[in-house]
Amino acid sequence: MALQEPIDPLLEEISGPTPRQILRKRVQGHMGLLFGAGVVLVLLVIAILAPVLAPHDPYLQDLANRMVKPVFMGGTWEHPLGTDHLGRDYLSRLIYGARVSLLIGSVAALISGVIGTAMGVAAGYFGGRVDAVVTFLINVRLAMPVVLVALAVVAILGGSLQVVIAVLGLLLWDRFAVVMRASTLQVRRREYVSAAQAIGASTPRVILSEIMPNIVNNLIVIVTLEMAHAILLEAALSFLGLGVQPPTPSWGLMVSEGKNMMLFEPWLVLIPGVVLFVLVLAINLMGDGLRDVTAPDSRS
Amino acid sequence: MKAAYLKTTALALAMSVATTGIALADKANDTLRVAYTKELENVDSYFNSSREGVVLQRAVWDGLIYRDPITNEYKGNLATSWEWIDDKTLELKLREGVTFHNGDAFDADDVVATVNFVAKEESGVKTQRNVNWMETAEKVDDYTVRIKTKEVFPAAIEFLSGPVSMYPAEYYAEVGPSGMGLKPVGTGPYKVVEVIPGQKFVLEKNENYHDSPKGQPSIGKVEIRTIPDVNTQIAELFSGSLDLIWQVPADQAEKLAAMGDQFVVTNESTMRVGYLSMDAAGRSSMDPNPFQDIKVRQAVNYAIDRNALVDNLLKGKSKVVWTPCFPSQFGCDQNVTEYPYDPAKAKELLAEAGYPDGFETEFYAYRDRDYAEAISSYLNAVGIKTDFKMLQYSALRELNMKGEVPLSFQTWGSYSINDASAMVSQFFKHGSLDTTRDDQVLEWLDVADQSNDPAKRIEYYSKALTRIADEAYWAPMFSYNTNYVMNTDVEYTPTADEVLRFTTMSWK
Repeated sequence: MALQEPIDPLLEEISGPTPRQILRKRVQGHMGLLFGAGVVLVLLVIAILAPVLAPHDPYLQDLANRMVKPVFMGGTWEHPLGTDHLGRDYLSRLIYGARVSLLIGSVAALISGVIGTAMGVAAGYFGGRVDAVVTFLINVRLAMPVVLVALAVVAILGGSLQVVIAVLGLLLWDRFAVVMRASTLQVRRREYVSAAQAIGASTPRVILSEIMPNIVNNLIVIVTLEMAHAILLEAALSFLGLGVQPPTPSWGLMVSEGKNMMLFEPWLVLIPGVVLFVLVLAINLMGDGLRDVTAPDSRS
Repeated sequence: MKAAYLKTTALALAMSVATTGIALADKANDTLRVAYTKELENVDSYFNSSREGVVLQRAVWDGLIYRDPITNEYKGNLATSWEWIDDKTLELKLREGVTFHNGDAFDADDVVATVNFVAKEESGVKTQRNVNWMETAEKVDDYTVRIKTKEVFPAAIEFLSGPVSMYPAEYYAEVGPSGMGLKPVGTGPYKVVEVIPGQKFVLEKNENYHDSPKGQPSIGKVEIRTIPDVNTQIAELFSGSLDLIWQVPADQAEKLAAMGDQFVVTNESTMRVGYLSMDAAGRSSMDPNPFQDIKVRQAVNYAIDRNALVDNLLKGKSKVVWTPCFPSQFGCDQNVTEYPYDPAKAKELLAEAGYPDGFETEFYAYRDRDYAEAISSYLNAVGIKTDFKMLQYSALRELNMKGEVPLSFQTWGSYSINDASAMVSQFFKHGSLDTTRDDQVLEWLDVADQSNDPAKRIEYYSKALTRIADEAYWAPMFSYNTNYVMNTDVEYTPTADEVLRFTTMSWK
């Protein structure tokens, strides 16, 4: 019965596909987004399930079996990606390293996102003195070279997971602040904001339910950009010996530890390098894709 | 990351060049090309403390006495004979007819000026221990001098044949250490013709070199370039733009040796000893401080598989060491308590000490990160969780002096001085670097350091070393080695003291 229910052709024409259907269609047609999100998802699952998936203890040292070659270079399946300079299983360290990279990327992006968004939205919404102060702070921050400051701070405080996350979180908020300020400036004079203000909505309510939803797609792009940025910076710091400290497995640290033998065992550097490259590429593709499919402009 | 890949590509290219066989030494130009890993802060040998500086010092300057690196016999160099005329006065007869590279003649005035300058603390000589045992020097006649020591100092001859070299009095008074660093002048087998700080040094054979026990130089020119990255050094060796590299890490040296007859790889032991220092005196802020408990210190000693470290990481001529000194050093008694690898016993001792689940500690290191990492893995395995901190040497030394380091992996090279006092007395006589502060050890070391009777010295060093091992104040681990890689045109037999001697090198 239900199947034969006639549909009003006029209604069909007016309503068209629902926004959710449009979104699904756009997502399905976006190769970059699918690839990026797929890779990130897979790495996320690997990171979460690391203790189950890793074939060996990533900290277990076996000095008699150092730098065993990976299976595709004539090694055995005992160590599919070989072992490192202390005889630890490379695959297991790579799997546990995903945890460190993703943790640092997401927490650092979260911290800087909260700081930057709060500052940017406040500046854009209130204007005047608040804006002047925030703009000044952004300029101060932009005048500092991120890598140098991070190096100096980590060198003084000593490298550890917490310090690296905190330093990156406190340094990478500039882009959030700049973009959120500009976006807020654009929407704060819109009719719906004025309307909300006119009916006496409180400031937090106006910001949270009128402004934020309309600028959140910009935020997503910055989050992914900064996440990738933080992951690369962590790798760079660890490579220089100032990031995550051994024996914690980190991809940057693995590249650094393999560097000495690069001439004779290039795979020690290539394997973590390639994985790092793929993760950062995937996050960026995912960010671009999310922007494409959520941007209001392309909704038409 | 990108830079790393570019580098890989560059190295791969360099390797392919090497395999096509374009490697040519610069034998035709009589120029030996060598690489240094570190920069020198100053070529003036009293104002740097690095191994690279020692190498230049031995090539450019001469000491009064010379110790043959193979027979360990003392021979006259700028002095021809010497004699203790009382406990604290050494009289030396100087060699006649020696000239400095700038043409100045060498005589007693140069010795007096050099000794009096370096022995003064205000002059700021970098390693005070090398010179602060001397009080003054006096001229007796043009070719006779007397050196007075502050205390009875039996190792004087050893120091005079090592770090104390003779400078031209007038030139040094005029240009000072910084001028000497840029235009060094000595009496040595090689004279410096070019110094570009941080980049390179060019040495030229001293045609008028006196009849020294160092021998006469054979190779005409030596060009030393500073190349910090070992992989780049190896690539340059492949491409034929370097003839000799040294301090090559064990893994790379092994691969180079496996390449067959393209290169000659030689391994020699050095006096450097690697050890774990523990805060037995309880100076750090840890509370409670586990390292004050002998059982914890013994546990640390039992936790480390020294043989595995030596066999797999250090390789070469490295040896397991149980004493805070190098076995060849005078007085370094090897007959002390040993702690073979026994993780079960280590855990048991930790439990007895009240740490059944182990404890957490900061763990500092300044070099050989891979060794330090391996050691921290061993400690983690018995429950001692390490918060690993890698610092620059100077930063760690400062922390150590303040007593803020609970546990650290350190090394000491004794400046190639073949006497136990150069190591054990450096660290166990309640100085700022002493982490143990044992009064009994101090008392015995004082006797040993200030006696002129070899038998008595041996007896008291032995007492001190035995107590240090019994109390497990340190965890001494291994001695180091150095790999020298040369192309096949270079003829050279390295010595066991980590000093490159250009004078004994020649072309095949």
